[in-house]
Amino acid sequence: MASIAAIKQLIDKLGAEKVVAEKEDLLTLGYDSTPGLLHLPEVAVYPTTVADVQTVLGIARDEGMPVVPRGSGTGLSGGSVPHQGGVVLCLNRMNRILEIDEENLTATCEPGVITLDLFEAVADKGLFYPPDPGSQKISTLAGNVMENAGGLRGLKYGVTRDYVMALEAVLIDGSVVQTGGKSVKDVAGYAFKDLLCGSEGTLGIITGITLKLIPPPQTKTTMLAYFDAMPRAGEAVAKIIADKIIPSTLEIMDNATINCVEDYAGIGLPRQMAALLLIEVDGHPAVVAEEAAAVEKVLRSVGAAEFKVARDADEAASLAAARRTALSALARVSPTTLLEDATVPRSRLADTFAEIERLGEKFRLKVGTFGHAGDGNIHPTVLCDERDADEMERAHAFYHELYEKVLAWGGTVSGEHGIGIAKKDYLAKQIGPAGVAVMRRIKQSFDPQGLLNPGKIIAD
Amino acid sequence: MADKTKKQGNFAPGDAPTYESVLQCMRCGFCLPTCPTFVLTGRERSSPRGRVALARAVHEENLDFTEALKQESFFCLDCRACTTACPSGVKAGEVMEVCRSQSHQVFPGGHLSKSFRNFILKRMLPDPDLLEAGMLPARLYQRLGIQWLVRHSHILKLGPDWMDKAEGMLPKLDAPLRGQLPEMTPAKGEKRGRVAFFLGCVMTLLYPDVSRQTVRVLAGQGFDVVTPAQAKCCGAPHMSEGDRETTRELAKFNIDLFLSQDVDYIVTDCAGCGASLKEYEELLAEEEDHARLELFRSKVRDVNEFLSEVGLRTEELQEVKVSVTYHEPCHLCHAQNVSAQPRQLIRSIPGVEFREMKESSWCCGSAATWGLKFSEESQQVLDRKLANVAATDADYLVTTNPGCHLQLAWGLKQADMPQPVIHLMELLGRATPD
Ligand SMILES: Cc1cc2nc3c(=O)[nH]c(=O)nc-3n(C[C@H](O)[C@H](O)[C@H](O)COP(=O)(O)OP(=O)(O)OC[C@H]3O[C@@H](n4cnc5c(N)ncnc54)[C@H](O)[C@@H]3O)c2cc1C
Ligand code: SF4
Ligand code: SF4
Repeated sequence: MASIAAIKQLIDKLGAEKVVAEKEDLLTLGYDSTPGLLHLPEVAVYPTTVADVQTVLGIARDEGMPVVPRGSGTGLSGGSVPHQGGVVLCLNRMNRILEIDEENLTATCEPGVITLDLFEAVADKGLFYPPDPGSQKISTLAGNVMENAGGLRGLKYGVTRDYVMALEAVLIDGSVVQTGGKSVKDVAGYAFKDLLCGSEGTLGIITGITLKLIPPPQTKTTMLAYFDAMPRAGEAVAKIIADKIIPSTLEIMDNATINCVEDYAGIGLPRQMAALLLIEVDGHPAVVAEEAAAVEKVLRSVGAAEFKVARDADEAASLAAARRTALSALARVSPTTLLEDATVPRSRLADTFAEIERLGEKFRLKVGTFGHAGDGNIHPTVLCDERDADEMERAHAFYHELYEKVLAWGGTVSGEHGIGIAKKDYLAKQIGPAGVAVMRRIKQSFDPQGLLNPGKIIAD
Repeated sequence: MADKTKKQGNFAPGDAPTYESVLQCMRCGFCLPTCPTFVLTGRERSSPRGRVALARAVHEENLDFTEALKQESFFCLDCRACTTACPSGVKAGEVMEVCRSQSHQVFPGGHLSKSFRNFILKRMLPDPDLLEAGMLPARLYQRLGIQWLVRHSHILKLGPDWMDKAEGMLPKLDAPLRGQLPEMTPAKGEKRGRVAFFLGCVMTLLYPDVSRQTVRVLAGQGFDVVTPAQAKCCGAPHMSEGDRETTRELAKFNIDLFLSQDVDYIVTDCAGCGASLKEYEELLAEEEDHARLELFRSKVRDVNEFLSEVGLRTEELQEVKVSVTYHEPCHLCHAQNVSAQPRQLIRSIPGVEFREMKESSWCCGSAATWGLKFSEESQQVLDRKLANVAATDADYLVTTNPGCHLQLAWGLKQADMPQPVIHLMELLGRATPD
């Protein structure tokens, strides 16, 4: 609980322009992109320096007040939602790119830098930062690190964690730790930065990030394949991988998603098709040509209804941009959009699509599915209305049954969106009591008072 | 449109955003980086997502219609960049526009200020004769306009130096165009059709030369141009200040007037008017015959949209040897989705070299009276725009909306930049032979 005194102290020490407590501010800092969540904090702070962050943590410690860090609030598991009140620490004003080191191929940034801004800044210098979540034009780097975000290029280039070289974090006791560095190899001590990646703000506040950059691919080819049956698209994905081709992008959209995206973007996607694959291969021109031909061969062999190659870079970019709008575009169909983040070994992809279809029918739900097919990471999205209690119940039953199957197939309850508040119980199911217990001990050793983003990840 | 008798949470009776329209937001945040007020402040409540969330909270009775919400609704530029950015079809700008009308019900201004605003908004703008009579001798409008702002400075929270700015922004006033333009300007060359020209208030008063060129260009392109002198204000200023009822009256009048003309299209050279005319259908959906609304809507075109649709006749155009860059008015690209057409026109004028600027669809910070209410923020938005203009090093800055024109011309002058601002129809006018 934030007392009046705590708010006054925050204002005294940080200045009024960094502290907000009007109801209008609190109402708009009580959600992220996860449907249905809204919990008001008691106060919110916009720090601009590490010292500011330390000050907030100091007051929080004295007052026993929860601290919930927030980037841009695009999380999909409730990570930045202050469901136990307290102070929301908005890091979006700490948004400077401090250095792009062209000798060591690294970029060092404050936590609130927008993902796409970094991408563009390094591209200007002929470098490449691959992680590109669908939300890249607004998500923050710290938000990406804390959720270990993936993206459209994950299949070939990996996820955010693969690019984190060093982190600076403020711990709840006010100490500042630096972990990692610009050396490409580092085995000194526990892999502390790897523990912080994906910790969803429960272990420390990230105030600095050094990321690995790579040279961009020389060229790329973007292809589209349409299918008249969803399982056939799943088969195509499995076969491309089995043929030892690793495209940079291998994304899927089903019929409902195709139609919603087309409604928004109007780029001429065929509305009658059951599924679409967006495929990109990149690298050395000779390799790209070879891989593109190989992909085409696979697509023909599984019976894709249609296949086309993007004319130029502009068309390729507009296709990727359209894919990024999938989730938001699906939201136009119904008031509530529930989405999940099931991930399975890729050989199980076709089964998973079949299961989604079966369960959708069983529970009489409208479901749109899209996702990073090449990663086996798909987002079955139930289009519903939160005011219809019965429908919501059926939606939850749908996910419940789906996750049972996903876990039985050796999959995971979250490929990239994290656990947050939304998936604590599923996580407990996946990792079992021993797994939960060790996580709790780790959390305890970082944050004995349980003030940093309390109630997230670990089931009570 | 809300059913006015239905309970609408903590909104006052009357126009309010519908619950559906705010529920539609899935909070993805895609709109955030395109919203000038969010980029300026970094504050969620000044973002489209935040504004919609506040309106939702009022619906769900988690929030009263507060002074702060009112401020947010006026702080919103109504630039509609969020509408373009939103994949789910949410219209945060429109939600705020409706909230402005709420704010008049919840916080009626003082007596004096109210009568002044009524005078200007209800009497002066709607009635072209009154407006121009007042204008001609003593630039009364200009004075009254400023006086109106004085009266409102407390509720509008005007910046400290707004008065100098208001004076400095207005161009030298010429005789208004209305009354000078013939009711009918005949087509030149092979006739292609007959259009009505909707002459906007700001155009006739501040930019008579622009609209004169528009009519010349349309005639030169083979269209008979009818300019009904009785046309009233499109209603955009009223709508933007939250006075939806007056807007409806004006809309009905203009629909009657223009549907009684025997024309194929209704064309305007003011992006603000065009957006407003196109919204009549939604505004009157509950009160007017649907077929008539649809017919009216189907005829309205922005002049750029129109010329590009019918195809520009370029054989007779003269060469204009200049380089230009183009600023997209929010009310054209975001509100009307007209973005490729002006570029296409510019490119087809012989001799013109087109230089695309960065962030061409980023608001210039004018947004009706916003530029006066929030001087400092407006300046920051403007600076960003000017830097992008400077980078093109073009001879001219082309735009197609009087609000942008005012703001940009003022900004360029302040910054000692060489580019004159011209309307696209002026550019085309230069290429059109007499
Ligand atoms: C339309 C859409 C598409 C998306 N696509 C993808 C996708 O393709 N791949 C993917 O992986 N995700 C995706 N996401 C999810 C989301 O965008 C990512 O999880 C993103 O990394 C969140 O960034 P953020 O800045 O919004 O963080 P927030 O949501 O604000 O916060 C995320 C977590 O990080 C913590 N946090 C934030 N900043 C700090 C800090 N400085 N220190 C400590 N903790 C901090 C928060 O407490 C919270 O737990 C998508 C979301 C949307 C809405
Ligand atoms: S208004 Fe649209 S773009 Fe903005 S958060 Fe809501 S759904 Fe996303
Ligand atoms: S209309 Fe413009 S200022 Fe208003 S919320 Fe939308 S983007 Fe922001």
